[in-house]
Parts: sequence; structure tokens; C-alpha cells
Amino acid sequence: MVKRGLGIALAACVALSGCVQTRQYADVQFTPPSGDYKLLVLRPDVTVGSLTTGGMVEPRADWTDEARHYIVDALRTQQAGRGGKITIIEHRNEVPGVTAQELADVERLNYVVDQSIVLHKYLGDYLPTKRGKGLDWTLGQDAVKLGQKTGYDYALFMHAEDAQASGGRIALGVLGLAGCFIGFCAPNVGGQQQLDYASLVDLKTGEVVWFNVVMAGSEIPGIKFGDLRTPAGAAQMVDRLLGRMKPGKEAAKGVVMTPEVPEKH
Amino acid sequence: MCSRCLELTRRSLLIGGGAAAAALHTGTAEARVLPQEMVPLVGPGYKPTERDEIGLWKEMERVEEEIAGSNLLITDPNITGYLQNIIGTVGGPAAKDFRIYLARISDFNAMMFPTGFAVVFSGLLLRMRNEAQLAGVIAHESGHFLRRHMIRSWRDQKRKTDIFAIGAMLAGVGGAGAGVYLGDYVQLAQLGTILSLFQYSRAMEAEADAMGARLIADTGYPPVEMANIWEQLIGEENASARYRGKHRRRGSIFDTHPSEGSRMIDLRADAAEITVPGKAYDNLRERYLTTIGPIRQMLLDDQVKLNDPGASQYLIETLAQDGWNGLLRFYEGEIWRLRNRPGDEQRAAQSYAAAVAYPDAPAEAWRSHGIELMKQGRAGEAKTAFRRYLAMKPDAPDAAWVRSMAS
Repeated sequence: MVKRGLGIALAACVALSGCVQTRQYADVQFTPPSGDYKLLVLRPDVTVGSLTTGGMVEPRADWTDEARHYIVDALRTQQAGRGGKITIIEHRNEVPGVTAQELADVERLNYVVDQSIVLHKYLGDYLPTKRGKGLDWTLGQDAVKLGQKTGYDYALFMHAEDAQASGGRIALGVLGLAGCFIGFCAPNVGGQQQLDYASLVDLKTGEVVWFNVVMAGSEIPGIKFGDLRTPAGAAQMVDRLLGRMKPGKEAAKGVVMTPEVPEKH
Repeated sequence: MCSRCLELTRRSLLIGGGAAAAALHTGTAEARVLPQEMVPLVGPGYKPTERDEIGLWKEMERVEEEIAGSNLLITDPNITGYLQNIIGTVGGPAAKDFRIYLARISDFNAMMFPTGFAVVFSGLLLRMRNEAQLAGVIAHESGHFLRRHMIRSWRDQKRKTDIFAIGAMLAGVGGAGAGVYLGDYVQLAQLGTILSLFQYSRAMEAEADAMGARLIADTGYPPVEMANIWEQLIGEENASARYRGKHRRRGSIFDTHPSEGSRMIDLRADAAEITVPGKAYDNLRERYLTTIGPIRQMLLDDQVKLNDPGASQYLIETLAQDGWNGLLRFYEGEIWRLRNRPGDEQRAAQSYAAAVAYPDAPAEAWRSHGIELMKQGRAGEAKTAFRRYLAMKPDAPDAAWVRSMAS
């Protein structure tokens, strides 16, 4: 429910577009993880619903379960292809060495940091102090401690929500299209809406090193942009969201500074 | 589905936003829901079987996980166990299925979620004068679940927005076919749709009130206490508004809840109807005060620091109708001290002096009393007061400073 708030804010900024959009930001020093790295994926947050005729989203438990299953599979395949060892947890008590409360704290902290990133990087409220610095946010020592206690190199937080146009919504669009022949043209009542975002946290430094948002929406009901309820659609979403991680500005130029060594606690 | 506000869903946010944009004000009168008509619609161990409700329950899983693990919760087992017992008594057929969480938030509120877990704000515990009042609010929340309000209002919204969307489209297409512009009617229909959504929401609140009154009366609490809650709340809001030079907000057609005044009147009528002459009712005030005793200072502290002296003063005076004590006098003094208008320091000093005359005066009352005595040049008495503070709270964060004052 809390996560929805961020979703609404993001969705509102592209309400009028009708395509797939992605926009990613990376820490200037960021190089996409490859080789032998350990990645912890914290409770992928997936919801799939049905877009009613009137435009409300009706959550669907069966679709959500299917989509979560396919997304997790796609994520495993993708990360294994890059050489990483991946652990995906569903509940907060599944990580050995940390309590559910500690994990909840990191998740909540990440959530507010993500909110700040969305506000200042996506919603136009740009900060002059962060100009030209890529992605300059950190979870601080809490994330470093999580890394020390668990031995993971990175933590990935991801959110996916999808609303499939219902039969009634499609019919409404068809009616709007039919109206075009007599001078009232309204085919674009709004169809499938998908919103996904992910943030990658380096557990050695605590920094949010990479952030991406994918928004897919169709103004015309019936036109789909990858269906999370199918293995292919889920794989496509995971690829759009995480498949093309770009390195940070300085890392891309080959300027590599010595990473700061975090203090031991 | 809460007792006063906070509808947390996306759709209600959107609708609320749209509605708030057009601020119309008018009186709202709706027919009273009769308690005897309020029969529970779910039995023990209820689980959803229909697709939309299953989806709604699924969404709630993580919400409950988040709330259950929130660091805003008060987890004292005596108090949470007490709340669980109350909902286990006034919860009707689903009594044993409910979960109840207490959040440390100083507002007057409680809410029921679609899957049968309730959240009560600590501000409610401060305001309730006896167990019957608390049970009344909890029974109201149980009523939302027992009458299946969440899924019913969801279906109502879905149906109405569907009809509006189709109607608007037909008006457009049909209007174009007939060569007339129906846009104005479409806008009117949209307003009508939004208004009927709020009306439905208010009707459900009225149902929950009637159901709640019936549940507590069956359990043996005097049902009139539910009406008293609203009387107290209206008084508090009046006092708060008066202090700020404003008027208390009255009901409007965009409210999700009936106005406090109409709820109070309906609940009084309900109480008169369901009270059985000769039956013994007990508001269990003593048990209530004993149970919340250990956190009452915290509740008062949270309230007084809201910087709402009008409301805080009203609350303390209302609670004091059941008898003044050291805790209430001390926080009365704190209201004046924090308000800091001319003459408030003298008022605060008097309250502190009155507070320490009671055996239950909190340690802080002795410290504040000592400071005021010191300012009046009564150093000897001040030192005695400081020593009393140190004896009660030897490990207080400011003990070193107070010790130097006392020596």
C-alpha cells in the first residue's frame, strides 16, 4: 500500500504517453555487476490487476502469483547469465544472520530514499547540488552492516505493477473507436498500465548505485506491452528493467577511482 | 473503513482529490440505520470465495506484514492483550479471527482492514473515559468487517464508475450521432457518481455505528457510551477551533463519514432503543484506567506536545470529570507552560503545585514545581522538590543538572 504512493507519483508523470519508457540513473562510478558477485533480491513487490470498465484496478490474486513466479524465474536466469549468485527472498525472516526487523529497517529506509530519487530525478524537482553527479544517494551504514552480516555484494529492490484491460474496458475503447465514424472519436480511454522500478544498492559502500523506471502504458485498451502473466512477458519486463544497465559517467570514460574502504564496525 | 478518516486506497485518494477540488458545503441528513436490522454477514473463520475479494485479501497480506512489524506499534503485552480481549468479546461471529494493533499516533482514530485486522491509534486510548467507549469504537470497526463493507463499497465504486464510463461514452457517441453536445451532462453525471460514492461510504459508517451499538449492548456495556464519544469529540474540536479563532468543520456532501453531530444523535436513539430496562450495564471504567495506567503519562505527553492547547485543555478537563489527579494536573501545567501567553507561567506554577499534592504526581511534576519555586526565590522548598524528583528518577537524563540545583 505504501509502495503504491510512489507508483501513483510516477504514473502521474507519464499519464498521457502511450508507449514503453525507461529512464535509468547510475552512480558516476558505477560498473554493472558481472563475474562472481552475490546479489540479494528483497521481496520483489508484484501486483497484477484488472482494469475495470470505469478505470479502477481490481487486484487479482491468481495473476499476481503467476506473475511473481515468472518474474522470479526470469530474474534467476538473467543474473545466472552474468555470473552472479542470486538469492531471492519472499519473507523478511529468510536471510540468515539478520533479523526480520533489521531487514525491515533497510527496506523502509530504501523506500524513502527511492521516493527521494523519484522526486528529484524523475518528477522534475531537480537539485542543483546533485547536478552532473549521476545518482548520488546512499543508504549509509545500515546497508553496509547488512552486507557485512550476510556476505552479499548487492541488494536489489524491485517493484512491478500491471493492470490488464478487462473485457469491458476493451469494449469501451471499441465504442470510442466506433464513434470516430460519426464525429466523436475517443479510442484512447486508456488500456494496460505497467509500472516497474528497481534500485541496486552496493552493500560495501551503502550507496544506491543504479536506479531504473520502466513505464508501459497504452491509451487504447486491447493493445498490450508484455503480459507479466506469461513467461515471455515477465522475461521481457525483467530485461527492460535490468537488462541494459549502463555504467556511470566516469566509469564509462575509464576514470576509475579507488573505491572508498568502509570503516569496520 | 475507519472511525473518522483515512481511506487508504488509491481509488479513494483519486476520488477524494477530485472531490476536494470542488468544495461545496451543505448539510447532510440521511435516515438512521436501525440496530435490530444489523445482522452479521460473515460467520467464524470467514475466507473470501469470490475473485475480487480474494484479490483484495491478497493485497492486504503485505499491508498487514508491514503494520505488524512497524516500529510505531506499542507492543506492551498487557495492553495489546487487553485490546485483543475486547475485540474477542465485541467482535460478533468473527471475534476470534480479528487481529488488533496499537499504533503510537496521538490522533483519535481506529480502522479496520478488509482481512479482519484493526489498527487503533494511541490517541484513542487517551480520549476514552471507560472500557465501554473503547469497546464501542472497536465494535464499530468490527461492524465494518461483519457487514462486509470493504468489498461492498469496492463493488459499489466499480459499478458506479463502470456505469459512468459507459454512459459518458454513449453520451459522446450518441450525442455526436444526433448532432448535440452532451459534455455538460457528462460532467454533471461525473459529479453525481462521485457524490453517490461518498453517500455509500457514509451509509456504511452509519451501519457500523448501529452494529457497534448492538454488539456492545449485547456484551453488557451501556450503549449510550458510543454517543458520548461523539459528544466529547465535538467538544474537543470546538475547543481546538475556538482557540485558533476558527470554526469547527461541519459535515459536507464530500465526507466519507456522517457528521459527528448526526452520529451522536443517531447513536443516542440507538441506545434508547436497545437498552433493556432492568438489565445491568457496566462501563468498566476502573479496569480500563488500571490497564492503560502504565502508558497514560506517555499518551498525555504526546497530546500536550501537539501544540494544540485548546484541544489538550478540553481533553484534560473532560478526563478530570472523573476526578483530578497528579498526572492530569501536571499536564494541565504543561499546556500553560508550552502555550506561554502572559500569565501562563503563574498558571503553570499553580498546576504543578496542585499536582504534587496528589500521591500519584509524576516525577516531572516535582522537577517543574522545584523550578517554579526556585524562580519565586523559595530555594529551600525548591531543593526539597528537586530531591524528591531525583529519588523518583535517579537515572533521569537531566539528573546531574537537577542534582547541582538541589545541592
